[in-house]
Amino acid sequence: MNAQTVDTAENTGPSQSAQMRRRIFRHFGLLIGGGILIAIVLGALLAGALAPHDPYAQDLANRFADPVWKEAGSWEYILGTDHLGRDYLSRLLYGARISLLIGLVTALISGVIGTIMGVSAGYFGGKVDAVVMFLITVRLSMPVVLVALAVVALFGGSLLVVVTVLGLLLWDRFAVVMRSSTMQIRGLDYVTSAKALGCSTLRILLTEIMPNVLNNLIVIVTLEMAHAIILEAALSFLGLGVQPPLPSWGLMISEGKNMLLFEPWLITIPGVALFALIFAINMLGDGIRDVTAPENRN
Amino acid sequence: MLRFFLKRLGLAALVAFTVSLISFSLLFLAGDPAIALAGEGATDADIEAVRIQYGFDRPVLEQYGGWLGNALTGDFGDSYYFKTPVIHLVAEKIPITMTLGLCAISFAILLSIPLGVLAAVKPNSLIDRFALFLSVIGQAMPSFWFGLILIVIFAVNLGWVPVSGSDSWRHFILPTVVLGYYATPAIMRLTRAGMLEVLRADYIRTARAKGIRPGKVLFKHALRNAVIPVVGLTAVQLGFMLGGSVIIESIFALNGAGFLAFESISRNDFPTVQALILIFSLIYVLLTLLADLLNAWLDPRIREA
Amino acid sequence: MKRKLLSFTLASLMTVTVVPVFAGASDNSLTVAFARELESLDAYMNTDRDGITLARHIWDGLVYRDQKTGEYVGNLATGWSWIDNTTLEFKLRKGVVFHNGEAFNADDVVATMNFVAKPENGVKTQRNVAWIAGAEKVDDFTVRVLLKEPFPAALEYLAGPVVIYPDEYFAKAGTKGMGITPVGTGPYKVTGHEPGKRIDLVRYEGYHADSPKGRPSIEKITWRIIPEANTQFAELVSGGVEWIWQVPADQAERFSSLGNFTVTNESTMRIGYLGFDASDRYGETPLDDVRVRRAIAHAIDRQGMVKSLLKGASIVVNSACFPSQFGCELDVPTYEFDPGKARALLAEAGYPDGFEIPFYAYRDRSYAEAMMANLSGVGITPSLTYLKYAALRDKVQNGEVPFLFMTWGSYSINDVSAITSAFFRGGKDDYAHDPEVIEWLTEADSITDPAKRKELYSKALKKIADQVYWLPLFSYNTNYIYNADLDFTPTPDEIPRFFSASWK
Repeated sequence: MNAQTVDTAENTGPSQSAQMRRRIFRHFGLLIGGGILIAIVLGALLAGALAPHDPYAQDLANRFADPVWKEAGSWEYILGTDHLGRDYLSRLLYGARISLLIGLVTALISGVIGTIMGVSAGYFGGKVDAVVMFLITVRLSMPVVLVALAVVALFGGSLLVVVTVLGLLLWDRFAVVMRSSTMQIRGLDYVTSAKALGCSTLRILLTEIMPNVLNNLIVIVTLEMAHAIILEAALSFLGLGVQPPLPSWGLMISEGKNMLLFEPWLITIPGVALFALIFAINMLGDGIRDVTAPENRN
Repeated sequence: MLRFFLKRLGLAALVAFTVSLISFSLLFLAGDPAIALAGEGATDADIEAVRIQYGFDRPVLEQYGGWLGNALTGDFGDSYYFKTPVIHLVAEKIPITMTLGLCAISFAILLSIPLGVLAAVKPNSLIDRFALFLSVIGQAMPSFWFGLILIVIFAVNLGWVPVSGSDSWRHFILPTVVLGYYATPAIMRLTRAGMLEVLRADYIRTARAKGIRPGKVLFKHALRNAVIPVVGLTAVQLGFMLGGSVIIESIFALNGAGFLAFESISRNDFPTVQALILIFSLIYVLLTLLADLLNAWLDPRIREA
Repeated sequence: MKRKLLSFTLASLMTVTVVPVFAGASDNSLTVAFARELESLDAYMNTDRDGITLARHIWDGLVYRDQKTGEYVGNLATGWSWIDNTTLEFKLRKGVVFHNGEAFNADDVVATMNFVAKPENGVKTQRNVAWIAGAEKVDDFTVRVLLKEPFPAALEYLAGPVVIYPDEYFAKAGTKGMGITPVGTGPYKVTGHEPGKRIDLVRYEGYHADSPKGRPSIEKITWRIIPEANTQFAELVSGGVEWIWQVPADQAERFSSLGNFTVTNESTMRIGYLGFDASDRYGETPLDDVRVRRAIAHAIDRQGMVKSLLKGASIVVNSACFPSQFGCELDVPTYEFDPGKARALLAEAGYPDGFEIPFYAYRDRSYAEAMMANLSGVGITPSLTYLKYAALRDKVQNGEVPFLFMTWGSYSINDVSAITSAFFRGGKDDYAHDPEVIEWLTEADSITDPAKRKELYSKALKKIADQVYWLPLFSYNTNYIYNADLDFTPTPDEIPRFFSASWK
């Protein structure tokens, strides 16, 4: 069915992939972003092995222990302990899991919603497009932070609620980008010929359209992951994020902010971690866009 | 032009209506605001009295219909908490949010458009890299963290600006920077991309070849065209900022409409939250409408499309 | 003179010093910070502690409770006597003048009492006024306050939340006008008000000289609204405000080590408690079994929490009331921290491996977390839902909460009817529904004989503790932090009195 694409891919395959490899390795941002992200993901995955302590174990007699670089610090608690005497490094490692999970699941939910809407709008056009465009406008005009706050305040802050709410709110960019990408390839030869051959719409969408909008999709996934992680941190800051004792980085920042003037490392450590994660994801997204579609580079 | 305008206006009204319906049904799930209304020490009898007084026992659609009818005449009901008309509260608080939003968007434009243009004129130069650096930082910096750091450095340690409040223009400096910086990366990137594209275009090359001064080429010909998508983006960003200024307002004790919305959520002050969500979305819709019109004026091709 | 006040390290790279600006002492003004915007300045139209504080500065009550002796003394009244169980006669003070020049007399008292007594006038905290039937004028300076039924705590309320309004001004301005431009007889008058930002208070030069509140020293008070705690700290350090309160123990400790500030700690009447669904309102849970509730009581290290987290003047509380309240029986069954005993009780009840249970809280997340760690130590796994107060109270009253951590401040009313009866007399907040307890409390609330009341409350509180319908945890304290040059004395009723403060 997609003989043409297969054909071109086979013909130009080796040189294209070699080119791609060269582009990847010459792309500074992509390497940095990818490197940091891999480090964070590894930290999260291996948290069980790497964490020196149980991230939930409290020791009220040993609260706010200094991190190792301060005078009273020790290697026992490399990054010190928090307001309940829990090891900060262990919480940071386990917290990476929660923050990544929030980013991934949110991007998954919003990605599915947004892609379905965007691709159908782009492919079918007409009334479908008008309805989708209308929904996008409605969604964009809703103040995200306020609506998310209202819902979380109502149902209580839990991982499930936060992720669902953000997922249901952040699909707009997926829809916009998928719509325009689909429109661009809808009229191309191989799609029209597949139609002429009588392929079912679903099949065309899955085998012809999706593979060709995948690059753009990945870029949006990275952007929205970053967006979701930062929004969860903001909700946590206002006291309405995930529920303790789960150590999300947003929650750690919001707990650490109480001692901002006195023990600034408590907010600086998760703050820097969050910053690094968002930075890495964004660099990766930009990098993927540059490498896969250099002509769109800006 | 008129037809285009009317069509967009109709769409805007429909959007606002849908948003109000969604937020109303959402907040209806909040259940019973009677307890919040009655206060901490309230007895069961107090709460029951409040419930009947406000009509929380009526069906949702009936309540929504009543609300919408009144809202169309500018009457959003009375705040449960303040017992005063919501519209007065909003009128009292929105100037602060608007001032903050406008300052922030001006700051963002003043920072990002010149940087974006310079970065496009000299791609891969030091200034391009600096612009990229700023935008990458801006994207990754959580605004609440940034705000607190600025307070500690510039207000507490250096004492250059007041910590919080809204009494003078000096109080707005830090919040403007924090909120404005948030919008900077997107505008800068779009300006740079637009400029790069335009600078490659034939007519610019022609103009250059004709020997027109580079500054004139840049600002009269290139920027005018590159700025068209930026106008739309700026409007969108301003809309986002107004709806997202909650945290900034809370940190800097600005007490504008964003903070009012947050507090009203905590207090289950249903009419106030409902009105604010609607007003924020109306502002957004109007801003995009304005941007569309501005774009149509800048670029006649849009009108015909 | 540069004093090293506070060093801030950003990723431990940067150290900077600050010069504090203390303007207050030189012009005898004081800037104070409060976290919340009041819904109305009208004392009867807000429910906030900040509002209670403000009201004490603008208005006076008929009587006043001396904070040192605990005795009631006259304020707007000079003497009083019970005519019968439901009639209280007051002799009023002569020569008192409201801020607007209106003279104070019996008409003001009658108008105020008759207004607040009517539920339809919408006094927000009905508890404060629900006992009042009205008032009658005897002569210009004698007035009788009528009670609906015998109410032993009447003077306590008349000394606190029930303040007297000027009848002529109030007739014109109404609740709305009073909420924007309040007028009273109190030590300070409001000269400016920007909602949500500031309230300007100026010393009332015509304040009656014999008031038990004393003549105020500070001329001007700027009352600022700053919601973020960190912003308050930053303002305090940079001299933007000179007095803050409700500072958590950790930050208060750090402030006291800075030296430029006085940090004082005072107990409050607020207590924390764990509530259990003992009467199946939520449905069947392991908490139905008294042995499980006792196990939880043994599992929580309340002493440890008081020592490490609450600190200051906080104490462990065993009875379902604040110790200073009238009728608060302290001799009740207690449960010491003993995880072994807790596990044994759980095993005995048939839960050797513990169980999972939904757990709700609305404030002090770290305390909730500390208790969750204690519980998981004996095998119980609470899953926390953290809600805003209004949302949680809604759920509680609908019977949707099996296990919770909440607090109660009793409105600073020094009588157990304000706490024990509020939760165990069979209302919507009652998850015990113990018929005996309900009967005892109902009777105790409606009689005036102190000895008999004490006896009934004692029975009720002993049973509540024995059955662990509540696990009372600890009393709260509050930290006040202010400029070291300010002379300020906090009081245990959690109402700051700036009229007794002065600059050294």
